[in-house]
Amino acid sequence: MTTNSIPTDGDPRRLLSEMRALSHRVRVDQRMTWVALLVLGAATLAAIPVDWFGMDVTCGPDGGCQFARDGMLYYWIPAMPLTYAAIAYFYLRAARARGLGGRVLPYAITGAVTTVVFPAAWLAVTTYFESHPIPDQPLPYWWFVLDRLVMPWGMIGVTLLVLAWLERNVALLAFTVGYLGLVLLVLPMNYGFSSGIFSIRAAMAVPQLIVGVVLLLAALGFRRVADRRG
Amino acid sequence: MTGAQEPEAAHPVTGLDEVVHQRVRLGILTVTREARRVEFGYLRTQLELTAGNLSKHLSVLEEAGLIEVEKGYEGRRGRTWLTLTAAGTVALTEEITRLKQLIARVETTEP
Repeated sequence: MTTNSIPTDGDPRRLLSEMRALSHRVRVDQRMTWVALLVLGAATLAAIPVDWFGMDVTCGPDGGCQFARDGMLYYWIPAMPLTYAAIAYFYLRAARARGLGGRVLPYAITGAVTTVVFPAAWLAVTTYFESHPIPDQPLPYWWFVLDRLVMPWGMIGVTLLVLAWLERNVALLAFTVGYLGLVLLVLPMNYGFSSGIFSIRAAMAVPQLIVGVVLLLAALGFRRVADRRG
Repeated sequence: MTGAQEPEAAHPVTGLDEVVHQRVRLGILTVTREARRVEFGYLRTQLELTAGNLSKHLSVLEEAGLIEVEKGYEGRRGRTWLTLTAAGTVALTEEITRLKQLIARVETTEP
């Protein structure tokens, strides 16, 4: 009788602790972190040739070059929703096979939002520079950070943050913080690669290659951990 | 001093719903809420129950309108899926609140 006494197995602390443990187990069983990282890494690497060949580069006799990365724009606008849709599909399929439902709606919403942010930022910058002169002075550091955040690989980091929250996945959160640090702060902020043997195209390809490889290596690591858990 | 005596709040234990408070049923509701949708076999494994025992608890929850049971087939294999109803979500949330109140009450009255 609940009005007299709570039975031993109904100790509230124990019950809440068991509920938390059950919830955690379900979240772990719903995880497919490595698949998300694999798909995102593959999409990033697949963008490199599109960016390379789709880039419009014009160099003047003074050695100065202007470029427009149209290929990347045309690639990522359809690639982003397709990538997130593929991840959501694999998540739901794997969860269903384990006898569980999926929790992909917030992830899908984030994917949709980040898909819109990238072309919107691109359009805003293009529109701005159509009516304003391109500055002679080097752009401030924060500009590059912001520019990278709205780029697809920055948006990938934002989406991974949401995934880490959904999965209550501390390991993924730690990886994502490191990933965002790499993407926003560590990768070359100038065109240093373009001097000497590297062209502007290579200068654009190398950061993408690093990002893609990092995502694939992370996918491998998370897969191994998942395999060890059984 | 106002002179008026505030009514003493009811002890959290009196609000516990026996249908929900039972340990196994609480486990079923917890897993179902977390998973959105859960299959019978998964629940049986996680809660370490026999099929018959789990079925009895599910019947209680279904009769109380806290879960919905959906039976179907995947290939030739029959599968039973469970989802939490809106009433089930409310009942589970209230149960968790009462358990927390109970713990808080015990902690404040402990010497």
